[in-house]
Amino acid sequence: MAHIKVVRRSMRPEEWTDLRFGWLKRYIYDEKFEIENLKVRDARQVAEMQYEYYPEGWRPLNKGDMYFTPDGTAFFETDVVVPEKLKGKELWFSLKTAAEIIVKVNGKYVGGVDPNRDRILLTPYIDSDFLHFEMEGYNRSKPDDERNPESLSVRGCRQIFEGAYLATINHTVLDLVYDLELLLDIAKSDLFNEDYRNFLNREINNALNLIDFDDLKNEDVASAKKYVDDVIFANDDYKGNGDVALIAHSHLDIAYYWRRIHSVQKNLRTILIQLRLMDRYPDFKYTHTQAYTYEMLEKYYPDVFEELKEKIANGQFEPVGAMYVEPDCNIPNAESLIRQFMYGQHYFREKFGKTIKNCWLPDVFGNSWILPQILKKSGVDYFVSNKMSTWNDTNRFPHNNFIWKGIDGSEVYACVPPTHFITWNMPSQIQENWEAYQDKNQGGQTMSMFGYGDGGSGCTEEMIEVMHRFNKLSIMPKIEHISGQEFLEKNLKDNKNLAKWDGELYLEMHRGTFTTKSQMKRYNRKLEYKLREAEIVSTLRHLKGAEYPHDEIRDIYKKLLINQFHDILPGSHITPVFRDAMADYKEFDERLDKILGTGEKYFNSLNFTRKHLTFIEDENGKSVRYGKQGNWVIPNLPPLSCGEISWRTYAGEWCEIGNKIVTPFYEIEFEYDGSIKSLYDKEADREWTNGEFNKLKLYKDNPGVYDAWDILPNYKDREVEVKIISPLKTIEKNSEVASFECILGTEKSTWKRMIRVFRQSRGIEVENIVDWNEKHVLAKAQFDCNVLTRKAVCDTSAGFIERDTHRNTTWQQARFEVCHHKWVDMAETDGGIAIINDSKYGVGLLENSMSLSLLRATVRPDVTSDIGHHEFSYMIYPHTEDFVKAEINNIAFEYNVPLGKADLTCENSFGELYMQTMKMSEKGNMIVIRLSEQNGRRGKIHLGGKVKLLNFLEDVIEETDTVEYKPFEIITIGIET
Amino acid sequence: MKDYINNIIKPKLQGDGGEIDFISYEDGTLTVLLQGECSKCLIVDRCLSWIESEVMRDMGESVKVVAQKKKPFFWDKD
Repeated sequence: MAHIKVVRRSMRPEEWTDLRFGWLKRYIYDEKFEIENLKVRDARQVAEMQYEYYPEGWRPLNKGDMYFTPDGTAFFETDVVVPEKLKGKELWFSLKTAAEIIVKVNGKYVGGVDPNRDRILLTPYIDSDFLHFEMEGYNRSKPDDERNPESLSVRGCRQIFEGAYLATINHTVLDLVYDLELLLDIAKSDLFNEDYRNFLNREINNALNLIDFDDLKNEDVASAKKYVDDVIFANDDYKGNGDVALIAHSHLDIAYYWRRIHSVQKNLRTILIQLRLMDRYPDFKYTHTQAYTYEMLEKYYPDVFEELKEKIANGQFEPVGAMYVEPDCNIPNAESLIRQFMYGQHYFREKFGKTIKNCWLPDVFGNSWILPQILKKSGVDYFVSNKMSTWNDTNRFPHNNFIWKGIDGSEVYACVPPTHFITWNMPSQIQENWEAYQDKNQGGQTMSMFGYGDGGSGCTEEMIEVMHRFNKLSIMPKIEHISGQEFLEKNLKDNKNLAKWDGELYLEMHRGTFTTKSQMKRYNRKLEYKLREAEIVSTLRHLKGAEYPHDEIRDIYKKLLINQFHDILPGSHITPVFRDAMADYKEFDERLDKILGTGEKYFNSLNFTRKHLTFIEDENGKSVRYGKQGNWVIPNLPPLSCGEISWRTYAGEWCEIGNKIVTPFYEIEFEYDGSIKSLYDKEADREWTNGEFNKLKLYKDNPGVYDAWDILPNYKDREVEVKIISPLKTIEKNSEVASFECILGTEKSTWKRMIRVFRQSRGIEVENIVDWNEKHVLAKAQFDCNVLTRKAVCDTSAGFIERDTHRNTTWQQARFEVCHHKWVDMAETDGGIAIINDSKYGVGLLENSMSLSLLRATVRPDVTSDIGHHEFSYMIYPHTEDFVKAEINNIAFEYNVPLGKADLTCENSFGELYMQTMKMSEKGNMIVIRLSEQNGRRGKIHLGGKVKLLNFLEDVIEETDTVEYKPFEIITIGIET
Repeated sequence: MKDYINNIIKPKLQGDGGEIDFISYEDGTLTVLLQGECSKCLIVDRCLSWIESEVMRDMGESVKVVAQKKKPFFWDKD
């Protein structure tokens, strides 16, 4: 029997309602007066507040004209006399646009328009009928996360001007529009009770039946509005449940599909629009992160900044986040994260008299286990993030309101809201948040953030208007609009019922960001240590009478921190952002060289004796590394001191080169491609390899739309053949090192590997010089170790984290690629293998195998990502005993901290802790020394006299002459000068 | 023309997440490769017209710009 599917072609009742709703919206504007004498000037922004103008200059802009250019900023001007019929009325400016436009009238910033809002209330801000408009627009071809479907439809570099108007609003119509916006959202959402939705559909229809759309009368609209009040809002037969706190917030990527220079205006518009909403809605509160964005506003828009200060003082505008920017929280080292708080909090204190109590990072790609301690010692008790609850690809993160315990045992209250941090405050989004909330019984309220982000400029009038109606609806969860900090204190503080998460907040997504844009990661690592060196050298010189370069160091540090923003350093951005960052890095490098200067003697800035083999550049040296002449020597320099380093040529024979390479430590069998077939350890009397070892592996890497961000678990499905262009051959053998070189490649790329074995070191170094021209390829170095273990140990920069190497559970399966810093180690109790790197962060761990991620080749957001020249090295370091006794961490420091020249010495080396920082305090009255326990031990330091114990903000906590420390603790002391 | 596209036009399109590369210029027809955001832009024709007017102003040549689009695999569904 044939089956005929019934297809409804006639209009459904709900469609009839939608149609009439659309018609009603046409009457929002009562009167409109077209501004006809606009002129426009096209430009392109080239630096903060600097523009290159197109040669056409000013031209008239009429309705239907094309405006905006690729990466374009446009300036608009016009003079308008308010027409007689609009005089004395509440006056609005209306402009429908895809761009982000800042509007200034008679010299005052009155607001902004963009795809999310098309009108600005003028009346309170003008005192004349003569209006001089000045506008600046940045075209947003990549709208606001593509979340608002309406903004998607207008994307593109070239836009058609739809006209600008002075207008008045029909508030009767607008009130009903907001009612219907709210009610229709519920009626269309499966998350609400079906009977209630039927009730809504029926009664909305009844209300609209009171309006004749062929002859719309205000009194009919008022009747419909009264019907909604009397019948729908008055109904309380249908009970909802839940308790949701609504937090207004606008996320702002400092750079992403736009350069950092554009965020100055994005930020101005966002803040300005929120200030204007606060003027109209006294109960409206809004949270805004990143001290840097406040700093930019203060620098370039001081008038708006003064208004902002008033709104902060009255509690409507809430600075949150405590950090300088919202950084990536995987790759920056501990000191960088501390500086994010120090510079951020110092700014908030200085300008607003506030120490911010929360860290606010909704968009970052996972959070290192070292963070809770850094928060606590930076005056921060609360942590807010988001991604692991909404973006995890394998496991549902089990908590939303909880306690997060850090690597050292520090605990902070944490909130990871159950739904995305960008919403438009619709009932269905709020209901979804409540449904997804996992701590209903013990966590108090759930947090729902609302507001467009990334230049979408936060909250809109509509979001606030619908919010004011929520409590009229019995079907809605209980709603409260409060500030971020109010939410945290009300629901988390002293809440004994909260669950505890002890470990990193690993994001089960975006695993590629440990590796994408390799050159940036290399520079970042280098500059983090170079800044450390510059501060130590400058402090010691200051003690001898030299001026401390406070401003210069602070400026470089802050700019490095900006480049650690979570869409800059992770590599998820467009080409110009990469160029900006690389230009910055080069500049910092040169400025730091000037600070460091030079000396007669070599200076060991590490607070332990440098006793491992180091490459020292010397134009007469016998060896070459990264293209520079030098010598491999053991410096034997005591901690924090300078000295001469001499090297003598070893006369004996230490390395046999035949089928096997025999060194004082190993018998090695290489393959032609530089991989190691056998690595026999003479001292340990054992073989270290068990499969492919030091093998260069290339895989097709097709993660999908989140190309720069993700590596998928199937990346090993298709391997790309690596050809041997030039097989391994000996290129150097002198008294300290024997070097071997092979050239590998694909059709498009060449990969030179230089492998070094040493007379005086167990390390085997692999230097990589790569000309990379791949698309969608992931390069890894694989090490199948002859080691039986279920855990690998990874450096976090402030202690180590153990990670499972088996895949028993989905949690372990999801962590197939993890972040590490200088080293990763896989060991049995009496020995193992460390891989120490100079610039890599991604590593895969599986059973007995480690795979160091080396390069990627993604095409979104940057088609040119990683194409070009790369240089990096890693060192294979087999060791006896465990990684602590083998001093792997110290060896990794020596591998990453170059030995420079400075004629300086410091008397105290501060025991077994790593001296992370020595600097002059920000006030200039103390030497600040930061010590980090990295081996998981407890102990005591006797300081030989009273010193100040400081927090990370350089506040004095107490005086002491002895410091007790626990595993992984970071301690800051201040010595008055 | 190749230098003009690669040095003057390209940085502007890159600023919007797009990418343009010169392919050929023959008989007044300038053929370019569009990648990135440009490869899926629904109103890219407006941008091509703009390139034509930019070329006219800066190079004094009347050209017809023809685009070849190369979408990444994850956008290439049609």
